[in-house]
Amino acid sequence: MDYIILSVTILGIGIVGLVTKNDLIKMLIAVEMITAAATMNFVVFGSLMEDSLGQAFSILALSVDACVTAVALALAVAIYKKLKIRDVRELSELKEEPSEEENQMVEEN
Amino acid sequence: MWLETALAIGLVTSAVFAIYLKETVASVLSLGSMLVLLSLLYFSLNAPFAAIFQLALGIGTVAIFLLAGDTLTKKSDEKTSSKTKILGLFAAVILSIPVIVGTVATQTLTREINLSLSSALWDLRAIDVLAQGIVVLTVALGVVFLLKEERRRS
Repeated sequence: MDYIILSVTILGIGIVGLVTKNDLIKMLIAVEMITAAATMNFVVFGSLMEDSLGQAFSILALSVDACVTAVALALAVAIYKKLKIRDVRELSELKEEPSEEENQMVEEN
Repeated sequence: MWLETALAIGLVTSAVFAIYLKETVASVLSLGSMLVLLSLLYFSLNAPFAAIFQLALGIGTVAIFLLAGDTLTKKSDEKTSSKTKILGLFAAVILSIPVIVGTVATQTLTREINLSLSSALWDLRAIDVLAQGIVVLTVALGVVFLLKEERRRS
């Protein structure tokens, strides 16, 4: 068994989830999976080299990962409280269309 | 060897279900089980500190965050049919085959220095650790301010 193939498989599953899912929480789960796959490489290669530097890097990476999740979830909760939306497709539809004056300015330029 | 193979199959299966299931709570639970299996894999690779960190942050923090986020932003979930679950299991089994059978040629790495975790963290990466402490505190303050601002507005 090869840990690199395992890591690549989990990374692929995470990327597929990130691309195909529209729910904010599901997308966060996919991001979590991608970071877990990346962190696994630190531990595996550190274990191959038989020193603790890989573990040290993995600890640093896991802390950053938890921070990313906390910020993304806080943003998701804030968006939900304001707009009652959890679907990213609906969020992209909220983009404001340019007014007639702005269109005229663009045409003049 | 059989333990590592079983862990790898479990990891791939729980990862597929975390993405595949329609119910968000079930997805988060599946992600949690994946992180527990990853922690067991770290233990088997003789990396206990990384394993404990993974367990504490993976289950204790991230899974709880995601469950809390799901509870705070509740929406009506669709149910996953048993046929879809069986298809997911089949996909997980197929994805597990290259993990068990495949090999990648890697160069054997040798190093003379054997570092302990504390010397690796404090002698080599001390600035990183301190900077990361500042990042974690900033993130905590940012999240608190973000949620407090939302509460004040509502």
